[in-house]
Amino acid sequence: MPRKRCANLLTTTNTMMIQESEIGVIIPAYNEGPMIGEVVAHVRSCGYPHVVVIDDGSKDDTRQRALEAGAEVVSHLINRGAGAASQTGIHYARQRGFSYIIQLDADGQHHPEDMKALIEKMAEGKYEIVIGSRFIQMSEGIPAMRVAYNRISNLLTNWFCRGSYSDSQSGFRMLNRKAIETLNLGLDGFGYCSEMIVVAERNGLSIGEVPISVSYTEYSMSKGQDIHMGVTTAINLLWKLIFHQTH
Amino acid sequence: MRLEIYQIVVPLISLFFIWGLASRFRKSRASMQELVAGSLFWLSVAIFALFPDFFSRKIARLFGIKSNINAIIFFCLGLIFFFQYKLFFLIKKQQIALTALTRKIALEQKQDKEIEA
Repeated sequence: MPRKRCANLLTTTNTMMIQESEIGVIIPAYNEGPMIGEVVAHVRSCGYPHVVVIDDGSKDDTRQRALEAGAEVVSHLINRGAGAASQTGIHYARQRGFSYIIQLDADGQHHPEDMKALIEKMAEGKYEIVIGSRFIQMSEGIPAMRVAYNRISNLLTNWFCRGSYSDSQSGFRMLNRKAIETLNLGLDGFGYCSEMIVVAERNGLSIGEVPISVSYTEYSMSKGQDIHMGVTTAINLLWKLIFHQTH
Repeated sequence: MRLEIYQIVVPLISLFFIWGLASRFRKSRASMQELVAGSLFWLSVAIFALFPDFFSRKIARLFGIKSNINAIIFFCLGLIFFFQYKLFFLIKKQQIALTALTRKIALEQKQDKEIEA
């Protein structure tokens, strides 16, 4: 997979209000042994010193690889799902006192270079959450099934929202301290992406979007949701949004 | 009135469950809501078993179902859906608790390791 260079970004981001040292980069991971080391190393090479992998009960060497690459690791004893790992990352950020967190996927589909765009949007001071969207400027190489799945998810999520979001399922997000303190997500699975948006809105948090690019590889395609998981995610999300308070 | 065996067994089972609920309530293991709802349910099962024709005809007339056998089938389906809902709710509750526990252990272990280091 072609990797962009990060070296010239450091000086740019250093001139901004938000410093890399204030940011915790949170990477939820489940059985990502083949990829996690590379992802962590790539993020660190972009100048972000605090990389935290939330190992969601992996059965492979995810934890060891992440540690070797220089990440901190918080380990779930058993697998609880992407949403549970994401919320553990938020809890850990509270504990560690990070001013900001950026979450990205562990399968290598996100480009750490795009974190700069999220930071710049956050630095405008208008948003508590910034989402990296694959669909503002349609990222190349996204499989048609994924596009269709995301369109349906957007419809479902936007139905419960005031705003309209182009990529409600993006795992590439930046949260400021207020969002870190406010968000308590209840969904364990992939539905957390939508839940975070709905809960944030209901708590008066503003959400912005910036375009990002993604690289879908055979590996990352094997990691995403299939139709069965998508249906389960939708049912769980609807159950949560209709029958429970989302605060 | 000639009683069939099930008309004796089912009410006895119902009474046994009501007694169990009351006992759990006394030991503060069940809420008043659970006691009332559970007792009403088992009581209705007992009464239904004692007077099956009367109640199945009533239900059939109430919902406009032609035969009382159909009424029983619909009634049972309703019950199954109710229990399905209860089970789903219970599983969700357990999952939330399990995730909270897993998270707490993970964060505490991380904190312990940091202190050790």
